Order: sequence, then structure tokens, then C-alpha cells
Amino acid sequence: MSLFSKFDTAAALESTLSSMPVNPTSIVISKVVSASEAIVNGRATIMAGTNNYLGLTFDADCISAGQAALAETGTGTTGSRMANGTYKEHLQLEDELAVFFDLPHAMVFSTGYSANLGILTALLDADDSVLLDSEGHASLYDGCRMSGAKIYRFKHNDPEGLAKRLSRLGEKAKDALIVVEGLYSVRGDCAPLKEFVDVKAQYGGILLVDEAHSLGLYGENGRGLVEEYDLMDDVDFIVGTFSKSLGSIGGFCVSKHPQLKLVRYASRPYIFTASPSPSVIATTREALKKVQQGQGLREKVWRNAKHLYEAFVELGLDIGPTVSPVIGVSFQDREKAFSCWQDLLSLGIYTNLILPPAAPDGGSLIRCSVTAAHSEAQVDSIISAFKKVCKERNVGRLS
Amino acid sequence: MDKNAVVEKLIKLLEGSLGKSLVLSKDSTLLGDAGLESIQVIEYLCEVEDAFDVVVDEESLSRVSTFGDLASVVERISSE
Repeated sequence: MSLFSKFDTAAALESTLSSMPVNPTSIVISKVVSASEAIVNGRATIMAGTNNYLGLTFDADCISAGQAALAETGTGTTGSRMANGTYKEHLQLEDELAVFFDLPHAMVFSTGYSANLGILTALLDADDSVLLDSEGHASLYDGCRMSGAKIYRFKHNDPEGLAKRLSRLGEKAKDALIVVEGLYSVRGDCAPLKEFVDVKAQYGGILLVDEAHSLGLYGENGRGLVEEYDLMDDVDFIVGTFSKSLGSIGGFCVSKHPQLKLVRYASRPYIFTASPSPSVIATTREALKKVQQGQGLREKVWRNAKHLYEAFVELGLDIGPTVSPVIGVSFQDREKAFSCWQDLLSLGIYTNLILPPAAPDGGSLIRCSVTAAHSEAQVDSIISAFKKVCKERNVGRLS
Repeated sequence: MDKNAVVEKLIKLLEGSLGKSLVLSKDSTLLGDAGLESIQVIEYLCEVEDAFDVVVDEESLSRVSTFGDLASVVERISSE
């Protein structure tokens, strides 16, 4: 077996995808027109498959802040904070995150992925146990794997399943790490956080919530689902990313535990990654202010979400039970999912096609998301396109 | 419970969860012969844990390919 023979599976996958009329993994966005529109495959397209929930990627203040930082501080930091120094703006962002979450400790990472790797590998080692939701993001799983801890998966959003596993762990339960997300990014369903907190209260454990997709959307101040459910005192660590609602790139962890300060000395993904560049820090800081003052943006994204969700219910599509800016439309037949996705693209609507093994339950999904940047007319266009495609492809109530 | 009985129970559990009869043996693989996608395997294993009242860590599962392998893991953890 040669070094490269392991790529045979990937080559077969690439070949299958390339034989499709449109390869869903090779979509090229040739021009970004606004936070909600782009030129895709040469056609003006409404972007209904982003994570730009508050539509801040084209916010004038964020762009100005980034431009000023580029001019004043340069293009990059060229190294990690531990080896090459911390810029004062890194510290300012950490202070602002702590204030935003009303928690004493905050730490910034260069990506959301490295935040999860960095925190999990620092918190856990081979003597520890971690209980992870079965639909947790790959970065959570990878972080747990890298740590060497014993990983126990429980069924998605199943507090009872978590309780059973904690109970079987016996004495180890009180020090076990429980890892869940706030809003899940594929189906758009939320974790039953109150119930998870109740389980934690009964059996013990340390609770980490990944708010990557819920930051900016939930809670009075946009802190996420933990704030929405009034559980800030019950959660031990909140991790998240700057690349969704904040329209930037990077990741963070906030906590009430003073040990978060020491993670800097114990986290290899943090120690050995170049720190975020000044323009990224500047746009993130500006975007965080927008989230803090973002009641209007939140109202708009939720209005759009409700409008789209109600239309999908009317169409009889197979979607989740709750309104959210992310709607995963499930298909049992992957060919039909692909055809519908391709038809939507040809009508100028970009969505995300998710095929097995990435899709939950082994089915296929078209993931559709709306943002505060979408106009009512754009949401209507998304609905019209779905209506046309569903009718032509015999999907939902129009079949 | 001997290993064959464990295998039989594992296959019955899967049949119950998929709602259909399956022609499987201890040498059948979960991903190939049983036709499960990886995410379905996780859900199925959660049911296995509940049925046998055990908790199985990922490292033990990483060595599981067939129903026979899974039965061995369940037996080992049950006896610990």
C-alpha cells in the first residue's frame, strides 16, 4: 500500500462529484455584490446558504475599522502571541468579549476550529471523560479526539441519554466534560439547554456550549442560547466563532473559571498558531458593538426566518419543528435533493447541499439560511424558487 | 449471555430501529453489510448502550467493524 493509496476513496468521490452537472463542492463565487447577493457561475444569485446571520460582512463601520487597522498596523502579526507578542488590540477584544458576556475571562483564537481544538485539548487529557452530542461539529469531535480523553457520544439533543451515560460513569461523572452546541447549523434545531443543565445538576459534570451559530441571534444582548434561556450561571465554558454573525474570522472562549487564563500555557493549537491579524481584530471589535446594539438586526433576521419557515411549512417540506434562520430541508432521495439544489441554483438561489455521510440520519439535506441583510423581496424570491422547484420535482405538498 | 446471543440481540436491535428484517451474522459489517451511514452507526450504538446498560468509549468502537467485534466490546465492558 503506497503513501498515496489512501487518496483512492477521495479520488472516487471527486470523480462522482465531477460527473454531476454542477459539482456542489466547486461552486465559484466570482463577485460578492453585497451581504446577500453574489455572482455565482456567472449569474446574479441570492445567497441563501451563508452564516452571515446579521449581514455584517458589508457593514460600513466594520469595513472602515478594518481598513484603518490595515493602514495603521499592517497586514498580519506574522506569529503567535506566545512567541511573537500580543498586540494591544488582541487584549482589547478579549476585554470587550468579557464585558459582552458579563463573564470575567475571555480568550481569542485565530479560527473557530482552533478555538474548539485549543480549549478541548487543554481541558481534557487521557484520564478524563467527555460526553459529546452525536451531531456535534467536527471541530468538537476532533478536539476531543486530540485530547486523548475517553469519548462517549449520546443521541442528538437527548438529555435522558446524557443522564444515562453520566449515571453509568459513576464517580467519574462529576468531572466529566459535557459538550453541546446552541443552534445546530445543519437542521437549525436548538439544544434543550435547560434540560442539559438539569442533568448536570443531578449528576455533576462541566458544561461547555458552542454558540458558533447562535451568537448574535439569541438572547436580549445577542450572547446566544445560554442567555436566551437565562443559564449564564449554569454553563462553565462558552466557545464560539467570529466567522458567522460577526462576519469576520476567529474564535473565542469565555468562562467564569479563572483556569481559562492558564489555557494559554496549555493549549498547543493556541501556542502554535499565528494570532489574528489587526484588520480581523478591528472588524470583529466593530461587529461586536453592532451585536450589542443589534436588536434591530435581530428583529430583521427573525422576521425573515419566520417568513421563510411559514412558507416552507405551507409547501409541506420536511423541516424541523422550530423557526430558525437556518432551515434544513430533508430528502430521503439524494438524487432528488441534488436535482432540487441544482434547479435552485439555476434560478439564482444559492443554498447548501448536504449529502451522506455529512447529513444527519443518513439522509440528504438542502440547507437554506436567511439573514438580516435579505430584503423581504429577496426572501419572496427564495420562496418562489422553492415553490417552482418543488412543483417540478414533486416535492412536498405540491407533489 | 454468550457471544452468539449478544450478536443476535445486536442484530434484533438494528432490525427494530430500521423497521425491517436483515440477513446478518457475526461477520457482517455495520457500515458495509448492514448499510449504515456513519451518523446512523452513532445512533445505533447509543441504542446498544441502553439495551446492554453499558457505556462504550470511542476508542473501543474504533476497532469495531463487524457485529462480532461489537459483541466482544459489549461483553468486555459488561464484565468490567
